Amino acid sequence: MTRTDRADALLEGIKRKRRVIVSPEGIPLDVRIAAHGERLTAFVLDMTFMTAIIVGLYLSLVPILFSFVPLFSSRVRAGMTLVLFTGFIVRNLYFLHFELAWQGRTPGKKICGLRVIARDGGALTPSALIARNITREVEFFLPLSLCLTLDADAGAWRQLSLLAWTLVLTFLPLFNRDHLRAGDLIGGTQVIAVPRRVLLDDLTLAARARPDETAAYVFTPEQLAIYGAFELQVLEEILRRPATRENDRLMADVCLKICRRTGREETISPEDARRFLNDFYAAERAELERGQLFGRFRADKTST
Amino acid sequence: MRNAKVITKVHYEGQGMIMSEFTEARQSLPLRSAEFRRRREESWRRLEEYVERVEKSGISALSADEVQQLPLLYRAAASSLSVARNIVLDRSLLLYLENLTLRAYLVVYGPRVGMTQSLTGFFRREFPRAVREMRRHLAVVGLAMTVGVLGGYLLVRGDAAWFDLLVPEGLAGGRGPGSSASSLIREELFAPWPGFVEAFVVFANSLFRHNAMVGIFSFGLGFALGLPTLFLMAYNGLVFGAFLALHAEQGLTLDFLGWISIHGVTEILAILLCGASGLVVAGKILFPGHLPRVESLALHGRRAAGVVAGAVALFFVAGFLEGGFRQLVASTPGRYAFAATTGALWFCYFFCAGREK
Repeated sequence: MTRTDRADALLEGIKRKRRVIVSPEGIPLDVRIAAHGERLTAFVLDMTFMTAIIVGLYLSLVPILFSFVPLFSSRVRAGMTLVLFTGFIVRNLYFLHFELAWQGRTPGKKICGLRVIARDGGALTPSALIARNITREVEFFLPLSLCLTLDADAGAWRQLSLLAWTLVLTFLPLFNRDHLRAGDLIGGTQVIAVPRRVLLDDLTLAARARPDETAAYVFTPEQLAIYGAFELQVLEEILRRPATRENDRLMADVCLKICRRTGREETISPEDARRFLNDFYAAERAELERGQLFGRFRADKTST
Repeated sequence: MRNAKVITKVHYEGQGMIMSEFTEARQSLPLRSAEFRRRREESWRRLEEYVERVEKSGISALSADEVQQLPLLYRAAASSLSVARNIVLDRSLLLYLENLTLRAYLVVYGPRVGMTQSLTGFFRREFPRAVREMRRHLAVVGLAMTVGVLGGYLLVRGDAAWFDLLVPEGLAGGRGPGSSASSLIREELFAPWPGFVEAFVVFANSLFRHNAMVGIFSFGLGFALGLPTLFLMAYNGLVFGAFLALHAEQGLTLDFLGWISIHGVTEILAILLCGASGLVVAGKILFPGHLPRVESLALHGRRAAGVVAGAVALFFVAGFLEGGFRQLVASTPGRYAFAATTGALWFCYFFCAGREK
């Protein structure tokens, strides 16, 4: 778990699955692995779009076909064949096309904020995408067609064992920590969630009315030496929350705790809590960052 | 490190500063991290704006100038991130930089070619190369299939009742030990051409889909450590051997081989390619070498799956030949000539294509 992640886990009780990939420049990047639900949603969306495309194609192809096929019975057969064939072609090219053109995103993935990346951190190659998408036939469409053609008479055991085996492949993402499906294993790819983050104002500057305004509350180095980076970042999260009554009460609580822990005698009124915490945050961050410059990183209050 | 603190303290105290003044002075100094952010923020914002545009409407949304700027800005952001991880404790800034670098990385190292380009590249170079690389696996599945053919042939020649056991009803299509030579000739080997739509659209397609599924399946079976792949190959051989024996019984061996070879050359090649790819996957799971299993699979599986994609294209050609041309070319020598041509073409393709650097 990375440093920044710990604050999330504490405040919201979320533990996201994360992995580190190393970019070709050698920079470790922290990525969040897509959750099962997100991937399922993206897939269902893609299937819907694909079906729409197939139906559209079929509706435009049928009049051409019917204009030069005389017999009705062969019209029906030819029509059926055409549906299945366009289905096969479209579902194989749909994923490939979009994942190439949109940097590893299909329309469904784009909506869900997911992306395909190369697991080793290198460039995403066409051959990796071909590999991950051809395998989808075995993983999903084969069991599907097996389910649809289950025939009680013709060797039920054989069919069931076949189905069971293919379903193992289908549910492979549930059984490994990176949520890889067979296609990801073969293509060396991975699906991650990439949310958009905006750059928020620096709290140490935002809280001050004028740039030269000095802090109302002053802390001694001994008081600042109590906490570490983790507490600082939790405090930052709390300060960034919108001012609701609940958050105000939380802030007053935190205020009280800090005062007690640092041994400050004064009592801070709830109205001043935000001001106090802001000053404390600025002072604590300055202290910890200075320490970091000297190679002294304090992870949390328990570290020595 | 403790020493450094002591030294600064002594330094300040030496100048006659009392403790409270000292603390106050430290707190009114601008934070180093805020200064760091102020100096670089503009280039981050610019990168963010570029990345957002690419995410929205593709790389073509950037002008030539901006495309050149992109990697530079990306590298600047990446180095900012590295520095920030060491000197900044502002959580929102760290998260923003991480997110920005990741998104820019995905744009910079994302695929740069379109589908048509990558498909042509694949068929001109990667596919034949990958096939040449799996020669040994091809030999193994070829052997498995040959064993199957021999077995099927010998069994059915020994006792014709084996035919019904080996060949599923759907595949036999009414043919069996009871079929006479004339019915085989009339209804199978030299059956009349069913017409354009029936031949090229209906029959060719159903064959293609069926075969492609079998092929992809035998590749997927590689995940089950390869034995099922080999069985499937041998079984395909068995069925073929049984049919061969059935026709040999009636003295139609040459006609049968001609009839089947029109598409058989292409189709059997494609089946072998799928089987060989399955074996590659199985081999990499069983014997990963010095790499971890998952990585070794990713490294070689990519090529193997590519070969399967290529084999699907071969199946398409085979379905076309089988559905359309098999009954159109209605003489045995003509069929042999046709089959030999396809064989020679495939040989040239897999042997010569993609040799250049």
